[in-house]
Amino acid sequence: MALLQEQDRQYLKEEFGKFSNDVKINLFTSKSGCTYCNDTNAILQEVSELSDKIKLNVYDVDENKEEASKFNVERTPAVILEAEKNFVIFYGIPAGYEFSSLIEDIIDIGSGNTNFGDELVNFAKSLDKNVNLKVFVTTSCPYCPRAVRTAHKLAMLTDKVRGEMIEAQEFPVLSNTYSVSAVPRVVINENTYFEGALPDAQYIDKIKEALA
Amino acid sequence: MDFSLGSLQESKELKDSYDLIILGGGPAGLTAAIYARRSGLSTLVVEPLITGGNIASTEKVDNWPGDTDGVSGEELANRFTKHAERFGTEFLYDDITEVNLSGNEKIIKSGNKSIKSKAVIIATGTHPRSINVPGEKEYKGHGISYCATCDAPFFKGKDIVVIGAGNSAIEESLYLLNFVKSITFIQDLPYITAEKILADEIQKKENVKFYFEHLVKEFKGDGNKLTSVIFEDRKTGETKEIKTEGCFVYIGLIPNTNLYKGQIELDKYGYVIANEDTITSTSGVFAAGDVRVKNLRQIVTAVSDGAVAAYEAKKYIDKLNGGN
Repeated sequence: MALLQEQDRQYLKEEFGKFSNDVKINLFTSKSGCTYCNDTNAILQEVSELSDKIKLNVYDVDENKEEASKFNVERTPAVILEAEKNFVIFYGIPAGYEFSSLIEDIIDIGSGNTNFGDELVNFAKSLDKNVNLKVFVTTSCPYCPRAVRTAHKLAMLTDKVRGEMIEAQEFPVLSNTYSVSAVPRVVINENTYFEGALPDAQYIDKIKEALA
Repeated sequence: MDFSLGSLQESKELKDSYDLIILGGGPAGLTAAIYARRSGLSTLVVEPLITGGNIASTEKVDNWPGDTDGVSGEELANRFTKHAERFGTEFLYDDITEVNLSGNEKIIKSGNKSIKSKAVIIATGTHPRSINVPGEKEYKGHGISYCATCDAPFFKGKDIVVIGAGNSAIEESLYLLNFVKSITFIQDLPYITAEKILADEIQKKENVKFYFEHLVKEFKGDGNKLTSVIFEDRKTGETKEIKTEGCFVYIGLIPNTNLYKGQIELDKYGYVIANEDTITSTSGVFAAGDVRVKNLRQIVTAVSDGAVAAYEAKKYIDKLNGGN
């Protein structure tokens, strides 16, 4: 049974039809202990079939160590979208509210859009240190996509930023390590974090605080 | 697994000015947009987070007429949004940083954008009230939560506490019971304030317990996570402690009106003063939905306000343009 609704399928076909760039999606799966690898593969297959510009590659993480190490894949399923300068990561299935994050990322990359507002653009330019952003989410959290998208937009703007969405329920040990009990939680460079969907300016302030 | 595409959160190219700017994309704002577009007004909705407002984080809406079996808040929010989009409403997903509501030209600032309009509808809704007791700030996000749909999975199999027993508290608790082992309610009043149908349903559950006429005094933790809630019997003054790792707070709402202070009349709680006609103290500014002074804050009353506000805004703009 198709996962995408017909109305959404038509809408996406139209949006993807405007793409000037190819969108390379790499899905890393594993044969054992990956509850949502098959579902993630299924939805990505459907999405990629909507446009010739979307190129989906599926890798078994154990059989394609070289590819996996290129993106430093740490868990599965991992969905990696390659942008012009960098890449963005979804650990866990981009379902529910996070499906919109996935689609918006694809549209930005496909249309070459990096017009993310002066605040993010200038901050990305000014960055001289590496920033790791882990955004813990649940798929039923309406506030989470905003926190994910800010991390992903920064990652699209500069290779100094690694932006990871992490679906908290699929990775309970990791979530426990970071004591996640409310989402969105954004962990910056492993050492500081904040909760909630903050506006870009405040999000940037938190990163600056973490780097100071 | 749900892969329905809600509203995409990105704005297309925006104009510098519109007939009408609607602040807030909840049920009131989206309905106002539908009516405004149908009457020919160029319309921009500015929404800082996600369209649908509070219903986007409501598991199930059971009192929306026509949806006889109930409808998920997410689905209803998507439908409202798509409906407003169908008539050509434009959307800006960003924070509103500054407003100037005086005069015939209203100015809304959002990030680095400044957009003008002839009329403004304030439909910015409410956010959950904090309880303001020691430990709340420290353990917010470390056991204390305000969003059941977001955070319920973290409390699987746990004995949790819910503070409050109004509509939100009971509705969200019925959802939480799909995950948690038990819920202990702490309520300041001597009874459940939620609708009778909800009160009946929750009281049928075996794994719930109520402390009526009790006040929460403190949240305690181990420095990392919440470990207990301290509360007091209002009648006897006796202090009690309940061990828990999770506490959801539903003790009421605060209107999102900070930005408008001094520019329109607000009541002492911060709600915008406007009658059923949604007309505020400032000409060309209308207030719709939960943000307005009213007795019943529901989706149906919000959408009703939205329609009226769009109608009044259209009348105001026609007059401004020299019509009747």
